[in-house]
Amino acid sequence: MKISRKITGALALSAAAAVVLAGCTSRNEPGQSAAPGASEGAGAGAEDITIAFVPKLQGIPYFEAMNTGGQQAAEELGFEWLYQGPTTADAAAQADIVRSFIQQGVDVLFVAPNDPNSMAPLLEEAQAAGIHVATTDTDAPDSVREVFVSQASVEGIGQQLTDSLLEAMGGSGKYAIVSCGETAANLNAWIEVQEEYTASEYPDAEIVDIVYAGEDQAMATQMATDLMNSHPDLTGLVGECTSSAPGVAQAVEDADRIGEVFTVGLGTPQSMLPYLESGASSASILWDVEALGYLTGWAGVQLANEGDLGDTSSLENEALSEVEYDEETGVLLLGPPTVFTAENAGDYDY
Amino acid sequence: MTTVSHDAPAPQAVSMRRILPPVVTGQEIVLLAVLAVLWVLLGIFTPAFLTPGSIGPLLVQVAPIALIGVGMTFVIITAGIDVSVAGMIMVSAVVTARVLVGYDVPAIAAVALAIVIGAALGAINGVLIAYGRVHPIIITFGTSNLFLWLGLRVFDSSTVNGIPGTLEFFGRGAAGSTLGVPHSFAIAVVAVAVAWWFLRYAKAGRNLYAIGGNQHAARLAGIKVQPRLVWVYLTTGALAGLAACMIIATGTSTLDQSVGAGKELQVIAAVVIGGTSILGGRGSVVGTLLGAILVQTVVSGVTQLGWPTQLGFLFVGIFILIAVGTDLIRERARRRA
Repeated sequence: MKISRKITGALALSAAAAVVLAGCTSRNEPGQSAAPGASEGAGAGAEDITIAFVPKLQGIPYFEAMNTGGQQAAEELGFEWLYQGPTTADAAAQADIVRSFIQQGVDVLFVAPNDPNSMAPLLEEAQAAGIHVATTDTDAPDSVREVFVSQASVEGIGQQLTDSLLEAMGGSGKYAIVSCGETAANLNAWIEVQEEYTASEYPDAEIVDIVYAGEDQAMATQMATDLMNSHPDLTGLVGECTSSAPGVAQAVEDADRIGEVFTVGLGTPQSMLPYLESGASSASILWDVEALGYLTGWAGVQLANEGDLGDTSSLENEALSEVEYDEETGVLLLGPPTVFTAENAGDYDY
Repeated sequence: MTTVSHDAPAPQAVSMRRILPPVVTGQEIVLLAVLAVLWVLLGIFTPAFLTPGSIGPLLVQVAPIALIGVGMTFVIITAGIDVSVAGMIMVSAVVTARVLVGYDVPAIAAVALAIVIGAALGAINGVLIAYGRVHPIIITFGTSNLFLWLGLRVFDSSTVNGIPGTLEFFGRGAAGSTLGVPHSFAIAVVAVAVAWWFLRYAKAGRNLYAIGGNQHAARLAGIKVQPRLVWVYLTTGALAGLAACMIIATGTSTLDQSVGAGKELQVIAAVVIGGTSILGGRGSVVGTLLGAILVQTVVSGVTQLGWPTQLGFLFVGIFILIAVGTDLIRERARRRA
């Protein structure tokens, strides 16, 4: 008994050690730049601007792609880019990271808030400490943020999804939407636009059902299969998020109905490429995530230098040719959404 | 004297037959009846529920749940539980997917790899539970987090893209079925049949019930409890590895970190609805298979009827509560008797 208790203790200790080590390595590796005290600018030297970005979640391809864009901007425009986020999409953990950046006294602080309401007072705190505060990817509308770097407008996404799908469907027919989280505000806002826009622009088209598969690819595929079975005259499917977009295309491929049922969705280019090539997916609507990261870095420089956000002439990046700034709402818009097809999806590595 | 010695083997045979439960238990008959009623109703009220194009994919979706459910039924019969299933699926799936993308391996090698990984992770659970003597829910909750960490390290902040169709033998497409029967579902049925025989007629299988009924008494009766427990968790892991191959095959050409998420609860739901007592000591793999089919029937049925998706959760929740409730009532009646 004593021995087994010792063994248990040893196992518990080693398990605890493993957890601690895990925490360390996974935190350090992607965010090497986040070492506290490293306030010296890396290369350019002339400008000592530090721009910090706190994503909703560190370690997922989406925000890693944004980080890549931000790093590229840092290299080209000459500033220091700090990137650190929580390992779970948790508002409290994110708040701790924001506090640490306030303490470090960065020049500009960008946040993609998990919970815009609880983030607002923290942003106020940061501003009081002399930091320029802004949001990117997700806004905190009722806060002191100076600018929101937006990936695409709600109307832009919803209308482009509808236009791309109905172009494939020939302008009429029945279609269904496979969404993900039932309470996801951005997805629901896009769906609302899709419903209104379909009703007003395509009178011969009809949305017959909206189902929610969670973030589960296989569930999305199964639900798309069920929808095709229950609506034999269905000719279109929309995958509303990055897990259901390839999911609905896979369902069409499995049912051997390519060319009869058309799909579009919000999928990352790499995950959609095989389906765009096979014809199971007609188009994938998203934005250039790396360009969004780049634009975030650029906006940070403008804020630090008290520059004009409306003057986008210094943006030489081709992906940023359609940036628009709305002074009244303080929204810096990346531009219309990007339509990925079989021709261009292979050019992106996320 | 002579008559007694002549008759001696006979009562033994009778008693042996008496301790075996009936071939089909009450819960299984109820489940079969509920399924039959649901399928007939769905056949009437939806245009295509009872067509091969609908039933086939449904059974493909059921297969990994039923397969892991076999292992989970063993585990729960021993009065244990394994909540690390999602982690084991993630690690097996992401390693296998990376190998499929990076190297030109045949399907059989990929399947073997996935099973070995799952078995290794399951063995970790088994050893910790059998020799650590901490409740299985705590151990597997801990290992679940370690497995998820391990899986995320292999993902390395990016999805696995461009998975080839090597495993299409298990998929929803035409290559995944023979004469309309999906291969993955057939494999699950074979696993259930073997496990049914094992639990009913093999000594090692009967031992699992004894361990779940009273571990201390089982040990005193000479049952090697610890090796049996290691074996049970290892089996669950190996089956999770095989299920990971089915999940890769039924998924898209991209694998992301949501793979396996929530599967542990779907499996436990199938086992519990199938009539296996969460208290241990009683349970059947046939019930688990029926439970898994029932859950997927409800989810698919709700979609095909055009009802709100959330109703699926309501119905599955009610089924679980009814199943657990009747089990507890039965247990109380037995104690009183």
